Amino acid sequence: MRVTVKLIGPFVQLFGFSEKALDVPEGTTADGLIGLAGVDRSRPKIVTRNGRAVAPDEALADGDRVAVSPIYSGG
Amino acid sequence: MNGWTGRILRVNLTTKTHRIETFSEEFARKWIGGRGFAAKILFDELAPGVDPLGPDNKFIVALGPIAGIPAPNTGKAVVAGKSPSTGGYGDGNLGTRVAEQLRKAGYDVLIVEGRAAEPTMLYIEDDKVEHLPAGEIWGRGTYVANDWIYAKYGKGAGVLNIGQAGENLVRYAVVRSLEGRAGGRTGMGAVMGSKLLKAIVVKGTKPIPQADPAGMKKIGYEDLREVNRIDKKTGWSIQSTNGVLAWCNEVAALPVHNFRKTHHPDAWKVDGERLNDARIATYGCPNCTMRCGITIHDDEGRESELDYENVALLGPNLDIFDLAPMASLNYLCDDYGVDTMSGGCVMSFYADAVENGAAPGDIRFGDAEGFKKLLTAIALRQTKIGDLLAEGSMRAARAFGRGSIDYAMQVKGLEVAAYNCKFIPGMALAFGVSPIGAHHKESWVITFELKQSARESYGPEKARKVIELQRIRGGLFEFIVSCRFPWVENGWPLEHYPKYFKLVSGLDWSLDDFWTVADRIYSVIKLFWLREFPQTDRRLDYPPAVWFDPANADTEGPIAGQHLEYDKYDGLLQHYYDQRGYDRRGIPTKATLERLGLAGEGRAAEAYGKLT
Repeated sequence: MRVTVKLIGPFVQLFGFSEKALDVPEGTTADGLIGLAGVDRSRPKIVTRNGRAVAPDEALADGDRVAVSPIYSGG
Repeated sequence: MNGWTGRILRVNLTTKTHRIETFSEEFARKWIGGRGFAAKILFDELAPGVDPLGPDNKFIVALGPIAGIPAPNTGKAVVAGKSPSTGGYGDGNLGTRVAEQLRKAGYDVLIVEGRAAEPTMLYIEDDKVEHLPAGEIWGRGTYVANDWIYAKYGKGAGVLNIGQAGENLVRYAVVRSLEGRAGGRTGMGAVMGSKLLKAIVVKGTKPIPQADPAGMKKIGYEDLREVNRIDKKTGWSIQSTNGVLAWCNEVAALPVHNFRKTHHPDAWKVDGERLNDARIATYGCPNCTMRCGITIHDDEGRESELDYENVALLGPNLDIFDLAPMASLNYLCDDYGVDTMSGGCVMSFYADAVENGAAPGDIRFGDAEGFKKLLTAIALRQTKIGDLLAEGSMRAARAFGRGSIDYAMQVKGLEVAAYNCKFIPGMALAFGVSPIGAHHKESWVITFELKQSARESYGPEKARKVIELQRIRGGLFEFIVSCRFPWVENGWPLEHYPKYFKLVSGLDWSLDDFWTVADRIYSVIKLFWLREFPQTDRRLDYPPAVWFDPANADTEGPIAGQHLEYDKYDGLLQHYYDQRGYDRRGIPTKATLERLGLAGEGRAAEAYGKLT
């Protein structure tokens, strides 16, 4: 299945891309996708799937858009 | 008295006199400084009903015990007075050398009273106070005025000044400093303007009293370096606050088209990546190693310094998805001394009202040139519409009628910051119960709502989080007077602040002690509001009606079909009141006031409004 990963804020510079589409195996979880995308899993972050919060072990579906952001606290 | 100079400088512009007053250690410990001093002084000294733009209002600059001392991000001052926007207590903070210079001159507080007979610049150097003519820079923008002042006094002087918006009593005019910093979006620039006070210049030569100056110096510089190291590791300053724009767009929290929409496919054109790419300079405040301002060229070649709030509200909120013209609007706001947030919201409201047939005119969303002209008309009160919009969205909506108040994006008369709460109940609450009108500086709970709670929840955990953040952001950082960013965005532990406090004052306080002070300050501000609005009720703490309107719900995207619900919001508001110890109107109960040491203030307020 094909999913899109969107990095937010300084993650773009830190992990070397802004947005990319990846072909991943069925059943790939949100946390699994982060690893496949080359993002440091240990970073404090907030992950959304199609704009809504997602649990790390939640399985993704074809066409999903996953955004990975530092935990902003609102300026 | 270590930690404080113990002195207040009171200046009267009408009589061109001043006097130096002292305050007690008890006063210092009870209110700490900054917002605490300002709120208490305004409560004690302003008679209810005073015209915020009349000579009886007071303009206050208040500093805290660590303000101006080299340590993580202490170059800040609080400016306060009765707000022309809301009619309630108003304040704001801004980065400025005044923080250091006023304390070195020997003062924790400056109170300006009366009204000058001619445009005036106040010059303060230690115990010397001069009322100087400012006719040469009256009618000029903040950049020209600032250059003129620097040419006379050097760049090391502490400067606060206003632009034409403040002179023309635009109700959301700000105070400016350092050619890139603004504060007091509750209309503190208009309060200065109403006094014909164009600028305040401060120089000081005295040491700031500290319990352990050598220890503070050592820790302060070490911690400045450490915050800088952390910032480089997190990379936060790369996109600065505008990094959050892309996230808001992802999670449907971005203001687009006067908050009618929550996301837009072109938002990437003004996001943090694009802003960083366009960067020509980086801007920061004194004693700061997390420089948050990104300067770019606008479409007329001028340098304009941006962050998230002004990008979002002068960009997508006006359907402008191009950095250069948006930066031009930002430049005009900064030069005229218009608050970028309220300026953006007022203009988007007007375009919405025109679109809905509620207001005359031909302005259209996306018309950057039209908005530039409109902004000029507002700042200079040049046209009938400009004059009306200078009054703010609440008053303009009352004039337009036709239900336009529902989409005037304001609470209590202050326009909302750049978070679209169509379906973010906790953040809507944060705007609703902010003690100065809708401002994000008091509490920001969106990531908590999405990550640790549930977006659709109206549960007590959200009220608890709002209070926790109010104590930190609207309390600690506003009374100790330091920028919140090291903690907010780079996780700098709060435990450092009792440590700094002890080094300067010798007092061994816990964070819990600070939270009590924070609650006390919030309560006295509530009493200020009660006195001004004795018939107050909980609806004063409601966010804009359009967020509750099913017809305004998104038709696609992450929150399609979703909107706030009145009964649930009211329940969340009640959780907040219950946890705060407020009654059903949102006023502290007598028991709460007693617990916070405010029984006397309660009795004073009771002459005007009922307490329970």
